Amino acid sequence: MSERPAVSASSRLRALLRHNETGLLGILVLITLIAAVAVPSFSSSGNPTEILDNASLVVIVAVGEYLVIVTRQIDLSTAATLGLSAYLIGELVGGLHVGVLGPVVGIVASLGLGAVLGLFNGLLVERVKMPAIIATLATLSIYSGLQVVATHGSQLYADQLPSWLANIVSESWIGLSPLVWAAVAVTVVVALVGRRTSWGRDLYAMGSNPEAARYLGIRTSRRTYQVFAACGALAGFAGLLYAGQYGNVDATAGNGFELTAIAAAVIGGVSLFGGSGTAFGAALGGLLLTEIENILALLKISIFAQQTLQGAAIVVAVAGYALISRRLDRPTRRQLGTAEDRGDSSAQAGSVPSAAQELRA
Amino acid sequence: MSRWRSLRRWESGLIALLAVVTVVGGITHPALLGIYNLQTMALNNADLALLAIGVAPVIITADIDISIASMLALCGVLMAKLWTDGMDIWLAIAVAIALGAVLGLINGLFVVLLELPALAVTLGTMGAYTGVAFLILGGQAIINLPQSLVTLGSGNIGGTQIPISLVVVLALAAALAFVIHLTSYGRSLFAVGANRQAALFSGIPVVRVRLLAFVIAGVFSALAAVLYVGNYDTAQATIASDQLLPAITAVILGGVSAYGGTGTIPGVVLAVVLLAVLQAALGLAGLSGQAQTIAVGAILIIAIGAGAGINAFTGLRRPRRRAAVSEQLGSG
Repeated sequence: MSERPAVSASSRLRALLRHNETGLLGILVLITLIAAVAVPSFSSSGNPTEILDNASLVVIVAVGEYLVIVTRQIDLSTAATLGLSAYLIGELVGGLHVGVLGPVVGIVASLGLGAVLGLFNGLLVERVKMPAIIATLATLSIYSGLQVVATHGSQLYADQLPSWLANIVSESWIGLSPLVWAAVAVTVVVALVGRRTSWGRDLYAMGSNPEAARYLGIRTSRRTYQVFAACGALAGFAGLLYAGQYGNVDATAGNGFELTAIAAAVIGGVSLFGGSGTAFGAALGGLLLTEIENILALLKISIFAQQTLQGAAIVVAVAGYALISRRLDRPTRRQLGTAEDRGDSSAQAGSVPSAAQELRA
Repeated sequence: MSRWRSLRRWESGLIALLAVVTVVGGITHPALLGIYNLQTMALNNADLALLAIGVAPVIITADIDISIASMLALCGVLMAKLWTDGMDIWLAIAVAIALGAVLGLINGLFVVLLELPALAVTLGTMGAYTGVAFLILGGQAIINLPQSLVTLGSGNIGGTQIPISLVVVLALAAALAFVIHLTSYGRSLFAVGANRQAALFSGIPVVRVRLLAFVIAGVFSALAAVLYVGNYDTAQATIASDQLLPAITAVILGGVSAYGGTGTIPGVVLAVVLLAVLQAALGLAGLSGQAQTIAVGAILIIAIGAGAGINAFTGLRRPRRRAAVSEQLGSG
């Protein structure tokens, strides 16, 4: 928001268009309307709430992932954190008999476990100086290995869980399940922190230009620890909810979730080059992904074609955002002449996006 | 000084680690070095080796391709499907390899021409390619493939105990090593990975170099598919989906920096051997597959952490090609 230009009407329009969420919300509404008309069972009772329930976990992890990606890092280990937390915290709260304190203990413990696992990622990235993609790839295999060791082949069943957790989908608070409210709460809190606090602005600064952020006096290494811990904490929290939503937790719980969450964030306009995107965008991306999945399932399109379409959606979304933002940015950049200043030597794999552009020019 | 130089290379550390694992494993479990075990190790890691060395050029240019395992599955499925539809198996193999090149090119076009993040693009194509493989076979598996393919993937060279696939992998690795370390294309790869802007201003065709790296990854994934399907005599859409992480792990462990610009093919091959021996040793020691997964993750962290630590003290370097590149640029 610091770079938003003002003054003329056309630039104000640009500023509005620059909000990817505006377009994303439009697409979401459009798809919903078409589906409601064209797919008979789409608006049947129960289906809309099912979409929201199914989107909740994706949204929570995607919003956590947003914090990391905005700083130009990535966390591939969220699924393993989710799975480990689902089993361990599920077992913990299942064995506790503390009455009303149960939810508090469960939430705090799941956030804490996730934060510790996330902090270890941050340590590898910031201390050991491993590239985030490699570090979290390694911890993905370590954490999911720990998940198998922890479960030692057994399962956690729904009847072992306390009722407050087992009922997070079936209960209804003002029309929505506690699960959905949890996702809404996480999104709102992270969105406020991300866009309205100096802590959040630090993250955007780091993602736009890590070196400049350091020279500005931003404590970049501390922020790196914090975003990884926050992302892990949210994945851990999602693990607790996973146990409640699905009841059964085994060694494979959460497998593949890391890519879904990243896909949701990317579709939601969070750039993997860092420095742009919002928590609302990531949440909308998760919702969109889940809704498309739901519609394809209702149309009895095979799960295999769904995978193809989901993959294609990611590529199309990324390409779309890149093209739109380049078109919007072009005049400003030419004025400033800084198109190629953004690629610095410490960039992540795949950066210095302007090289090919230069070549064609 | 120059006598010690070879000791300071990343590969020397890998060899030392390999020696330790082999000696300790061989003493505690002599079966580790038995001919049967060695054969199994070679056969079951042939596809992993091809995936790893194939994606190395992409990572050297500071890109990434996480669709390699999906390309393997799709190429393997198409090859088997064409064969069951009556095509000659060798022709089917050729078509599969061509498909690999096309799939790699698709990744490359999105990443390089549209300037999109490689991780996002290949995350998308990973799902898309696997999905197409599912569409071709619809969850079924093709088994009982022709004897010639099975022999290629799991047989021995006539009269010896040496698996054919081992020779194939070594020959392909040698060919790729030649291209990457001894040709001007290879030097451009390192230059692009070390500093894309500088490479561009030096007149290196950056777009073409990066595109070709993605095509190489696609072709090697297809080659890996041939050996995989031949070895296990099975083709279905889910094959090798668990090979992505080990392949990337091997590349990084082999000394290729994820930031691009450094690495060697022999280093990656050594890393595959190290991972294979380690896994076999842990298996013989009675540890489960998951404990092995933890060990692989831990080894990756320890190797890179130790590398960074030692580097700070003694100047031990991961294989550096930047010096060679700048010499080249200076003289050229």
